Amino acid sequence: MMSAAVALTTLISLNSCRKDPLNDMTDEESRIYITNRDSTANFSSYATFSIVDSVAVASNGTEAKRALTDYDKQLIAAVKSAMQARGYTLVDKAAKPQLAVNLTRIDDTYSSSYYDAGYWSGWGGYYDPFYWGYPGYGYYFPSYYTVYYKERAVSIDLVDLKNAQADKQLNAIWNAMFRGSGVWDSNNINNMVSAAFAQSAYLKK
Amino acid sequence: MQAASAQVRPPLSFNINYSIAQPFGSVKDYSDKTSFRGWQAGLQYMISDQIGVGIKSGFQDFYERAPRAVYPTKGGDISAVQTRTLQVIPALATVQYQFTKPDAIVIPYASLGIGAANMNYEKYWGEFVDKDNSWHFMVSPELGINIPFGKASPLLFNASIEYNYASYKLAEITNFSTLQGNIGLRWHIN
Repeated sequence: MMSAAVALTTLISLNSCRKDPLNDMTDEESRIYITNRDSTANFSSYATFSIVDSVAVASNGTEAKRALTDYDKQLIAAVKSAMQARGYTLVDKAAKPQLAVNLTRIDDTYSSSYYDAGYWSGWGGYYDPFYWGYPGYGYYFPSYYTVYYKERAVSIDLVDLKNAQADKQLNAIWNAMFRGSGVWDSNNINNMVSAAFAQSAYLKK
Repeated sequence: MQAASAQVRPPLSFNINYSIAQPFGSVKDYSDKTSFRGWQAGLQYMISDQIGVGIKSGFQDFYERAPRAVYPTKGGDISAVQTRTLQVIPALATVQYQFTKPDAIVIPYASLGIGAANMNYEKYWGEFVDKDNSWHFMVSPELGINIPFGKASPLLFNASIEYNYASYKLAEITNFSTLQGNIGLRWHIN
């Protein structure tokens, strides 16, 4: 029986022969690009858009600050040209754009809390409605499914301003979220933005 | 002579095997690769010359990394490199019938294992994991041979092939079905 016990102990330690998925994963492989859409939105019904002049930084659950680092400038430029490539016209935010583009960098690396309310409602809309000239309006983000994280991420939210008066709220009609390693590295911006738009062929004038 | 025959080797034995498993059906669709990371072990008691009962367990790791692709979701799409893994740990009760007397040079046998298997499903989207750990009914018929190292040796070479089925439904997996080859040793200890 002694030898059986020894054999069993050996066998249990063999459990470590499992191949570890994270062991050989590159930063590129670690990243995921999530897009969500409002299924009722008619994307070709919008003509103009405006984009924020800085990026909101939501850090570990605290109030968002705005920043304009080199990364932020490149992100704004990449999203701007992707929107233009889809036929939308860039206008000043004072010129009543029909779509607003909000950009948020999320830094939740030190927080251990789980977000289970859906990441749209959790993180989207860090840009306050005053920025777009809609004081008192709330953002509405449909929460399609649950994502929780302890990480850095980037979120692009496309908000409907065209119907804001009628709805008395700012509806997000499209969202892209970049998650994984290296999402805050400016070398990856173009790849990430291209991927998000490529998988959202419906997003066009 | 009958009594002598029954005493060829002690009735209690354990075995340890290296295992290779090939997934089929929806498991293959999920994780296509043959698994070379596995083992199996068991204890068996011979209640007669040719009939044994026992328990067996083991481990098998299925793994496949799928290149970046876009997967539709409820409200949109996700672009990801998927790493699809499944670890299986069966816990089965076995009954075995040996086609020859224990003093044969080669002892072919058939056995049937029935019990449960722990399925550890981990599907990585990039570095983010969808996981589930649960137990499911498993049945596992097996055909094999034992070859004693010498006529009355308590140590036997063992090779077998088994089919594993588990009623396992999760996400893209509709049932668990694998063909497994085992090679190792059986040792009659007591």
